[in-house]
Amino acid sequence: MIRYAVIFLLSLTLMSCQEEVFLVLDQNEERLPVIEALWTDQGVYNEVKMSLSKNYYDSMDLEIIRDAQVFIRVKSSGRVIPFNFITASNSYRPHPSERARVGETYELNVVWNDKAYQASGMMLAAPIVDSVTWKFEEKRLFREEGFYIKVYGKIPFTADNNYRIRVIENDTLKNQREDYLLFDDTFGLQFFEKGLELGYSFKENDRVRLELYRLNRDAFEYLNQLVNLLFNDGGLFSPPPQNPESNIKAVKGNTPALGFFTVSPILSRTVLIQAKYD
Amino acid sequence: MPFLRVLTLVYLFFFGTQAYSQAVKTLNGQVMDVSNSGPLIGASVFWEGYTSQGTITDLDGRFQLSVISLPAKLIISYVGFERSIRVIHERETDKLLKFYLKPEELSLQEVIIQERRPDEQIKNLEIGKASVPIETIKNIPALFGEVDLLRSLQLLPGVQTAGEGTTGLFVRGGSADQNLVQLDGAPVYNASHFFGVFSVFNPDALKKVDLYKGNMPSQFGGRASSLIDVSLREGGRDKIHGEGGIGSISSRLTLDGPLFGKNSSFILSARRTYADLFLKLSSDPNINNNKLNFHDLSGKFSFVLGEKDKLSLSTYQGSDFLGLDNQFGLGWTNWVSSVNWNRVNSESSFFDLQAYHSRYKYRVDFEDRENGFLWKNALSESGIKANWTRIFKKSTTINWGTHHQLYSFAPIDLIPAPESAISPIATQSVQGVLLNLFGGIAHEISPQLSTEAGIRWGVYQQVGKGVQYLYPDGIPDRNIDPSDSVSFGTLEKMKFYQGLEPRLAFRYLINPEFSVKAAFNRNFQYAQIATNSSAGLPIDRWILAGRYVRPVRSDQISLGLFHNFDQNRWEVSLEGYYKDLRNVIDLRNGAQVLFTDRVETEILSGNGWSYGTEFLLRKNTGKTTGWLAYTWSRAWRQIEGISRNQPYNPRFDRPHDVTLVLNHEFSASWTAGLTFLYTTGQAVSFPVGSYVVDNQIVPLYSDFRNTNRFPDYHRMDASITWKNPDKGRKWRGSWNFSVYNLYGRKNPFAYEFRTIFNNDINFSFSDGEVVSARPGVVMTYLFTFLPSLTYNFQF
Repeated sequence: MIRYAVIFLLSLTLMSCQEEVFLVLDQNEERLPVIEALWTDQGVYNEVKMSLSKNYYDSMDLEIIRDAQVFIRVKSSGRVIPFNFITASNSYRPHPSERARVGETYELNVVWNDKAYQASGMMLAAPIVDSVTWKFEEKRLFREEGFYIKVYGKIPFTADNNYRIRVIENDTLKNQREDYLLFDDTFGLQFFEKGLELGYSFKENDRVRLELYRLNRDAFEYLNQLVNLLFNDGGLFSPPPQNPESNIKAVKGNTPALGFFTVSPILSRTVLIQAKYD
Repeated sequence: MPFLRVLTLVYLFFFGTQAYSQAVKTLNGQVMDVSNSGPLIGASVFWEGYTSQGTITDLDGRFQLSVISLPAKLIISYVGFERSIRVIHERETDKLLKFYLKPEELSLQEVIIQERRPDEQIKNLEIGKASVPIETIKNIPALFGEVDLLRSLQLLPGVQTAGEGTTGLFVRGGSADQNLVQLDGAPVYNASHFFGVFSVFNPDALKKVDLYKGNMPSQFGGRASSLIDVSLREGGRDKIHGEGGIGSISSRLTLDGPLFGKNSSFILSARRTYADLFLKLSSDPNINNNKLNFHDLSGKFSFVLGEKDKLSLSTYQGSDFLGLDNQFGLGWTNWVSSVNWNRVNSESSFFDLQAYHSRYKYRVDFEDRENGFLWKNALSESGIKANWTRIFKKSTTINWGTHHQLYSFAPIDLIPAPESAISPIATQSVQGVLLNLFGGIAHEISPQLSTEAGIRWGVYQQVGKGVQYLYPDGIPDRNIDPSDSVSFGTLEKMKFYQGLEPRLAFRYLINPEFSVKAAFNRNFQYAQIATNSSAGLPIDRWILAGRYVRPVRSDQISLGLFHNFDQNRWEVSLEGYYKDLRNVIDLRNGAQVLFTDRVETEILSGNGWSYGTEFLLRKNTGKTTGWLAYTWSRAWRQIEGISRNQPYNPRFDRPHDVTLVLNHEFSASWTAGLTFLYTTGQAVSFPVGSYVVDNQIVPLYSDFRNTNRFPDYHRMDASITWKNPDKGRKWRGSWNFSVYNLYGRKNPFAYEFRTIFNNDINFSFSDGEVVSARPGVVMTYLFTFLPSLTYNFQF
């Protein structure tokens, strides 16, 4: 909110101008591995993506790491769940029947060249989603005219209330920096029972799929820091930019890894926006 | 206060041999403005032929001057007034002489930049102090034509700015919240309007501003880096006067005059912007439904209660408001008031008593049926200060006193709107009591050597009502719940700190035009802002020293060479300093400090240091006046958890800083001003690469903070003022035309590292399909060639 205020103020009153420039930038001596691991209660979502960082201006395709050894260890039993590289998805995947179970803690292990990385996370129980509705709304402050979706449910937990909702609109993930929908219990959770309105409008006949994740705190904070970084305009009102704090630690070698490990249940619902049912 | 007595005795034992020399006969007088009988403060008084042995008048326009062989000519001069020369005879030395100075027909205020004794900087003990007369500030070319006190101070050596268009000051490597900005003795917690673009002070209502960036007198304290001491002027005592201006974005009016006869006066001053009036002219409802304004009101009422007593009441109230579409509102308000009682017990004994209250509050309204709320917070500081001053034999001055402060930071309240689904939030309130005892002695050991020593003892107690959280192993961690919490009742003791703050200064006069000065100064600061951005926001969270946040400690040592030449027309100084800061704070990555009681889990603590050399060449009189300043300085922080625990430069570290300020009077009608600034670019972090995560192209940063630089900053501003000197004795008007950034330099305000779609930095997803995406750099810059016109008037 304050962000909007500042942007408004700066753009309106301070006569700011913008132009694209080229700056000579330092380059990292070493290209860092990026590990993005998702371990859920639904097998189709489970995967580990690995790539390498690159120079800032480099617009070539990502360099995918295909030769890593990836597995998840079940902490209670020590059972190892192997992941294999799948060319079609450019990611490492386990057997489709493998999935996370509530209450279990999982340890991600990645071995690549002479480096090894670990992260862990606990599978939390999913909240309850009762219904998903939509309604046409006139233009409001910070909201354009259109159909707005509300999610109704119940969150019966007193701890670990860190949530993310991903929205897929007509098979396209809404993945701009404005599209992140993250919430915790700072402002209570009553709004989830009264109906959580998604912050973007839809059109008639849009098919919208919602995915609700319940995250461990470290993964939630990683995403929060990521969003803050994406909004960091480098100005005086922004904090000094920093990489999000990864929950993946190097256990062999000194090269840190970028990215994060998410262990989460997923609740998904799909709705078709139809005005006649509004 | 036995300690002070002992200190005084010890001091006199070592340095006091000259203090008891033969008594010297003195001449007592008072200097006043003939037009309103108001006292003229700071008028120079000296015997003809003895310009370097004069004195200046005090708050009541009074002076004492050693008598030479009489009869002799006494000369009194004051800026903007005709010089008074009067032959004094022996018989006149027994009574109080009154001198009435006549205002000059054509005021020379515009071309004189110092209202003090010509050789003041050589003779006094002040090091690291800068005074800029308000008339000088008014002549500096200004952004939007809005004369701004704090922005003018940024032109002095040793003072850095956070960036383009902001009024935040970073003095000798200290952060912005380490400056004590006070108005007639009362602190101002948010000294800016429009998110820092303008400062809160209306220049028409001000008498003077003193910036202490080095040695601070012992009666002042509470902030680690500097004191910005702003005084409101008193009203005249003869008739109503007025002053004001109509500018590009605001207008202002000041009235002053007698209140209840000749012994009391008032001054009232008001200023308001009208940016929102322009917004209403727009046909676009997205714009004309918005509000954007600020106003400030200030007043001072002075009463002469008798021969010895004077009482003044000062108050300031200023507000900002930003409203969007009648649904969102952000407003903040300062209200600062003080009462000052000055008593002259005798010619050598003075007493000042001051009480003040400063309150700052903000409020955010959001009208929305889903998520509407009212979010508000307030903080206040109340204080009372007593200061006694005794002068012994003119060579020794002792002062002592006490200063009691009460900090009261109200809970941060977030109240949901009736239909809103969000839950209310209320943090705990925080209070602190700070009791200070101070004392100081200034002594002239010999005509060459003078010294000033002072000490301030601060005793701080954080008090309830409040809650203290306890953590496993005593280490606050946001990912670990507290192991316990302790509740404290009202005024119950929570955490205690105390600290001695010694101050010491020497001046050695090598010859009448050349002196060397040195000083040491320690300060403790018990309240600071928890932020890691460089510019302040109205919602910044102030925190008090407590169990987990220790008070900031600052030690500064400084050395200076001061030289005047060409009959004091020119001043040149070279000062060096080293400052050590302890217990400075920063925030963790992703810290959330606004709605939590566990702020300690979001804070990182460490040390800092800074050093530098400041050169100043200043011309004080003549048709061309101004100064040239060069500062070489460095500022460092070392905080565990930041920059791999290695030292790093804060954003405002700008090693090279050049300032040129010129003012020239072409004729009685035409005056021009020119300002040029050059500084090293801000210390910032640029990416060293990029990567993709969560479907985002993310800039990759080094672990080391602020290793890159913005391009060097430079800018030239100019102004020209025209007035008709022959017109209007009752109404005098002048036009000022100024240009900010004369040659249109695109100084970067920010570099944003983001994905650029379709090779268009303004591309919006509603514009169409995305056909390309690449990492890019978008520069934001402000204020290229910004002209403004202001009409100023006096009556």
